[in-house]
Amino acid sequence: MIELTINGKKVKAPPESTILDAARKSGIYIPHLCYDRRLVPYGGCRLCLVEVEGSSKLLTSCSTPVRDGMVVQTETEKLAKARKSVLELLLVHHPLDCPVCDKAGECELQDLAFKYGAAEGRFKRQRSHGPDYLDAPLVVRDPNRCVLCGICVRLCTEYQGVGAINLIGRGFKTMVSPAFGETLDCEFCGQCIDACPVGALSSKPIRYGTRVWMMEHKETICPYCGCGCTLTLGVREGRVERSVGKEGKGISNGDLCGKGRFGFDFIYSKQRLTTPMIRRNGELEPVGWEEALAFTAEKLSRIKETHGPGSIGAIGSESAPKTVEDSYMLQKFMRETVGTGNIDSAARFGYAKAQGAVKQAFGLDALPIDFHSPLESEAILVVESDISSSHPVFALRILEAAREKGAKLMVMEPRMTKLSRHAHEWLRNRPGSSVAVLNAMMNTMLDEGLYDKGASNVRNFAELQKGLADSTPEKAEALTGVPAERIKEAARDFAKAGRRLLCLTMGESENSKGANTVLAAANLLILAGSGPEALQIPAEFSNSMGMFEAGVRPDADGGLDAMAMIYDDGSPIKAMYIMGEDLLTAFPRTSEVEARLKGLEFLVVQDIRLTETAKLADVVLPAASWAEKEGTCVGATGIPQRAVKCVPATGESLPDWKIFIELAKLMGKGLGVEDMAGVRAEVERNVKLRFETSGAAPAFNPVAYGDGETTDADYPMSMVTGVLLQHSGSLTTFSNSLCSVVSDAYIQVNVDDASRMKLSDDAFVKLSSRRGEVFLKARVTDEVPEGMIFAPAHFPHARVNALTSPSTNGGHSIVAVRVESAG
Amino acid sequence: MNRYRTFLMICGGTGCSAGGGGGKLKDALETELKDRGIQDEFKVVMTCCNGFCGEGPIMKVNPDGIFYKGLKPENMATIAEEHLYKGKPVERHLYQAPGRPGKVPLMKDIPYFNLQVSRVMRNKGLIDPEKIEEYIARDGYQAAAKALTSMSPEEIIKTVKDSGLRGRGGANFPTGLKWELCAGAPSDEKYILCNGDEGDPGVFIDRTIMESDPHAVIEGMIIGAKAINAKKGYLYVRIEYFMAVSRMQLAIKEARENGLLGRDILGTGFDFDMEVFETPGAFVCGESTALMLTVEGKRGMPRPTPPNSVVKGLFGKPSVLNNVQTFANVPQIILNGADWFKEHGVEGSTGSRVFALTGSVNNAGLLEVPMGETLNRIVNEIGGGVKRGRKFKAIHLGGPSGGYLPEKFLDTPLTFEGMEEIGVMVGSGGVVVMDDLNCMVHAAKSVLEFTVFESCGKCPPCRIGSQVLMDIYNDITEGRGKMEDLDLIEELSDEMIKTSLCGLGQCAPKPVLTSLKYFREEYESHINEGWCKAGECRELVTFYIDEETCKGCGACKRVCPVEAITGEKKKPHLINQETCIKCRACLETCKFGSILAGPASMREELLNKKAVEA
Repeated sequence: MIELTINGKKVKAPPESTILDAARKSGIYIPHLCYDRRLVPYGGCRLCLVEVEGSSKLLTSCSTPVRDGMVVQTETEKLAKARKSVLELLLVHHPLDCPVCDKAGECELQDLAFKYGAAEGRFKRQRSHGPDYLDAPLVVRDPNRCVLCGICVRLCTEYQGVGAINLIGRGFKTMVSPAFGETLDCEFCGQCIDACPVGALSSKPIRYGTRVWMMEHKETICPYCGCGCTLTLGVREGRVERSVGKEGKGISNGDLCGKGRFGFDFIYSKQRLTTPMIRRNGELEPVGWEEALAFTAEKLSRIKETHGPGSIGAIGSESAPKTVEDSYMLQKFMRETVGTGNIDSAARFGYAKAQGAVKQAFGLDALPIDFHSPLESEAILVVESDISSSHPVFALRILEAAREKGAKLMVMEPRMTKLSRHAHEWLRNRPGSSVAVLNAMMNTMLDEGLYDKGASNVRNFAELQKGLADSTPEKAEALTGVPAERIKEAARDFAKAGRRLLCLTMGESENSKGANTVLAAANLLILAGSGPEALQIPAEFSNSMGMFEAGVRPDADGGLDAMAMIYDDGSPIKAMYIMGEDLLTAFPRTSEVEARLKGLEFLVVQDIRLTETAKLADVVLPAASWAEKEGTCVGATGIPQRAVKCVPATGESLPDWKIFIELAKLMGKGLGVEDMAGVRAEVERNVKLRFETSGAAPAFNPVAYGDGETTDADYPMSMVTGVLLQHSGSLTTFSNSLCSVVSDAYIQVNVDDASRMKLSDDAFVKLSSRRGEVFLKARVTDEVPEGMIFAPAHFPHARVNALTSPSTNGGHSIVAVRVESAG
Repeated sequence: MNRYRTFLMICGGTGCSAGGGGGKLKDALETELKDRGIQDEFKVVMTCCNGFCGEGPIMKVNPDGIFYKGLKPENMATIAEEHLYKGKPVERHLYQAPGRPGKVPLMKDIPYFNLQVSRVMRNKGLIDPEKIEEYIARDGYQAAAKALTSMSPEEIIKTVKDSGLRGRGGANFPTGLKWELCAGAPSDEKYILCNGDEGDPGVFIDRTIMESDPHAVIEGMIIGAKAINAKKGYLYVRIEYFMAVSRMQLAIKEARENGLLGRDILGTGFDFDMEVFETPGAFVCGESTALMLTVEGKRGMPRPTPPNSVVKGLFGKPSVLNNVQTFANVPQIILNGADWFKEHGVEGSTGSRVFALTGSVNNAGLLEVPMGETLNRIVNEIGGGVKRGRKFKAIHLGGPSGGYLPEKFLDTPLTFEGMEEIGVMVGSGGVVVMDDLNCMVHAAKSVLEFTVFESCGKCPPCRIGSQVLMDIYNDITEGRGKMEDLDLIEELSDEMIKTSLCGLGQCAPKPVLTSLKYFREEYESHINEGWCKAGECRELVTFYIDEETCKGCGACKRVCPVEAITGEKKKPHLINQETCIKCRACLETCKFGSILAGPASMREELLNKKAVEA
């Protein structure tokens, strides 16, 4: 540690830190506009100047490294004068429109002008240097307010890895702008808005909406992906106005993606359910709670009597509108009141596959991720996963590791994703072929003796050797399209790295991987000598692990899973209770799902909104949403986090757990709890919410690469489904903000394929598979390789899942499709 | 091989070529020689720049040493006939010193040449820059061979350090020390860069060196590369210096073909190669950090130091950046030793350096003098004094980052420290002579315009401060100035110097401050009297004719573009104030000093007077 003196106070700081770092750590405020903790020092704003003994010049504290015995002054007359001058200059063209600026109240420039008294400057020559207002989805730019600190540009380029904006022009005419002054077209993460020290960038949805000081700020957990970022919600008069990331809060430490920052408005969707509804004469009609619950209780009781409890099934949900408490009460209701273990969720097509494979490979029940693990790795291998879209903030750690920590980033991926663009080594394989590449990498390691010696003692080592004998890189090249030499190189780099990491996702909508991919990945890691902590498979949603542990999964002995309940011809299910899942959007083979649901005697859907599935229900029960109730969430990190009630519930909606208490009473078998305290006590007693990776018992599980559905002359293309940055799960499609960026379903088609099929960009196409057909728009791009179609599966109206089919053999479930112009 | 009686050395520099010389002259001369059947006796050679650009196009006749100036292709017939055929030099094209009688036929007798030293520009007017053999014939690449075969990096650095060589760009950092710091920075990869971007208006030293003696630059870089152990070099040249770009590229190609660049140079096992990086040119890229960012393909903006470029430069690796003239000095230092270099110059400012002399001076061009020489010698002796015998007013030294010096400093020795003491810098070596027709307020404003245009926009003091200064100057030169503005200029300049991120912003106020400090009375007359006495600020001047001295020659009438001047021959003329656009053409033309510049308020008086007369 280095010891220095700042303003007479002895301060200690690590050797690599700057004066500003040291000051911030010891609570000494030095003014700044262009500093951001996530970026390399810029030294542009000239406000963090300090006096250092022995230096005649004023030094920028953001860039000057600390030295032993350094004596620093941060507030002197000389500095105050210099800062005042700089501020006066900034105010030469910065409009004093604070009364109508959204940033007022938390504006750095406003505060500094107040502190140093620079409002009416000596240099005042009123002028503007750009248009007042530039429009784009979600982000509004007021160039005249811009102080050109460059944080937005650097954050976008260096930190987010996007580079949608830059400084253009020079001198007084410099402006922040997309290339050629075009309309902003970016990820719309909004990181720049939070980081902008002034009001030059603001959030469009709340423009002129509220003053900062009128909001009360509450911290809660993001309802979307498994990252579990902490949102600071600005609440005014019972309404969530905004969501921002704050430094030092939660695992995300101030980083958010577009979903976390803008996607909260789904709670104000016009489709929110406000009263219970019962189907009468084919139409859903609003009724009171009493009637709805009585009707439901009676129906369920009758079916239970007639067909037995085994004829009733339930589907739960992984994302934060449904908490651990809700999930716990759903399964408790089903198991205790109804008496059945037929409980499952959409995780069957995603997280459950990974969970099963992890159990097989390491003997662990669950495998949480370590959010900061990329930063400690020397080599990171990403396997066919667009983590920047599925888990955007976790992916920032991967980018940071590759950019700043010297980690070698290898990405196996057919699509041009953000990670593949930033990869040191992009192994562009054919869709779904990652098992073949992984096997060939292991073949090389075995061949060249690059495996951990301890691995030969791991169970099934001989089988692995035998199984991989034929998986040579040369054969893999033919199967995957990745040159053999590059596979070998990747194997060597990965095997030789001191600390390695393998990341992949297993989302319910992702069809290019299966349980076998996880097994192959685990084999590779065990062979290289790594334990389960090197395998990072972030669970998909904000409560995936919580839901699973709360018991929303079929009974080990005889409970039916989603496959058996929905797709089995001999399914005994007569009634279903669906909590917070839109089966008709999220489940594959939609037509079969629809037929099954329509054929039920009784269908209850308990949700926050009228989903496609709810439209088929006999009873619809309105649930209170995220931010409208208390609860616990366990996302990918395995850390239980509290979701906080910030606003009153919409209409008559009730928290899910409460609905089960009432319903159970009406069915004559109460659940023994009355309130949140009771539920929480039970959860604490019965649900294991701490996950450990110790005690792993690794075993090799050799898997062979299977081809999956074959393409032929009728269905010549391979369709990969997955998530988008703005949309994952159908919840996002109820957010106006997110839909203002992407609202329409589309597929991506390769440029060459498109020209062969004479498809223009935005052409309307018919997409058909062996199971059905849908109509949507085609976007022509070079982001997907020839022969591949990429389709986001989250738009309820597009019904892309009408074409898909779940995998039953552990392989991928890529679909063979045909694209025809339907213009 | 043909043996020639005489060599006709036509200057192929940019100045001479652009003035109708160079290739055109050569073609014309060769045709004339052929017409007379004497083409086998004369060899016409295109040489590199002589530096006497103000008198170009130039031709020397060797070995006699006859010097012709101001040539046009149509003059070639006379020269071929009278001089080359009949043997009598053509009087009309010989040099004549300003204000002195008699022609000076021989180059060695012309003060412009014989008062200079010839070290960096030792090959000027002698070699064909497009032929590596000619450079080698003049001891070229001897120094590189010496450095690579018999010197350790430490010895090279020590020699350069001992020589006292300081950067010939703006900051004048000791070259040997820079190399030593970079050599000591641990890294497996290092870079050496040469800045040939030369952004100062009116300065063309580096450009001329690259065009005239490209191999000297390459050789200097090879020696530097050996000193710091760099394997790769970049020569940063602005794209509009097309002759410099093409000659450097050709020279690099030749050097490569001759085993002087590339793998295993001269069989020593040392690998080094370099390339020309063509830049769109930005003044701010004189800052090493900004320059290196642009080589990486990023926006050229300086970053705060530390870490300095010698530790973390191009692509994050230790890098040395020197300018063209610095590198061109190195081979001679290595070859002749540090003491030889120190024969010229004074303690702290050793060696010689090249200045670009322009403005109101008779002999404009490039000249090389020992450091510590006085401006007096440069301007009056070598430069031949102020043009047209006008009154000297100031020197603008060191370009936009330098400043203005009044007459009293003409005898101050030109040393780095000495100049800094009086508020200017030697900088890139631009010397602009200003006479009594130059308004110092206007001059400072013009330099500010340049700064405003070239500011990268990163830090507020430079980005906004220079613009605000510009606003104040507009006020003063357009009649809205207040005396308080002068305090404001000083305060703002002071803050800009203290708070700007890089040299551009820190030096931008220097011309402003020196012009205000040494010529304050001009500011006061602008503000208090509404009068620009030099007549440059149009809003603050009224031109009129002194009836007593006007001879009625009509010269002013002829140059007036708007026919505002009337008068009969041999009778005093009159300027019509209603039509006069204050272009000042009459003032510059009048030989009798009869055109006078009065304050702005005079216009009203004159108009009233005219009305009364009518």
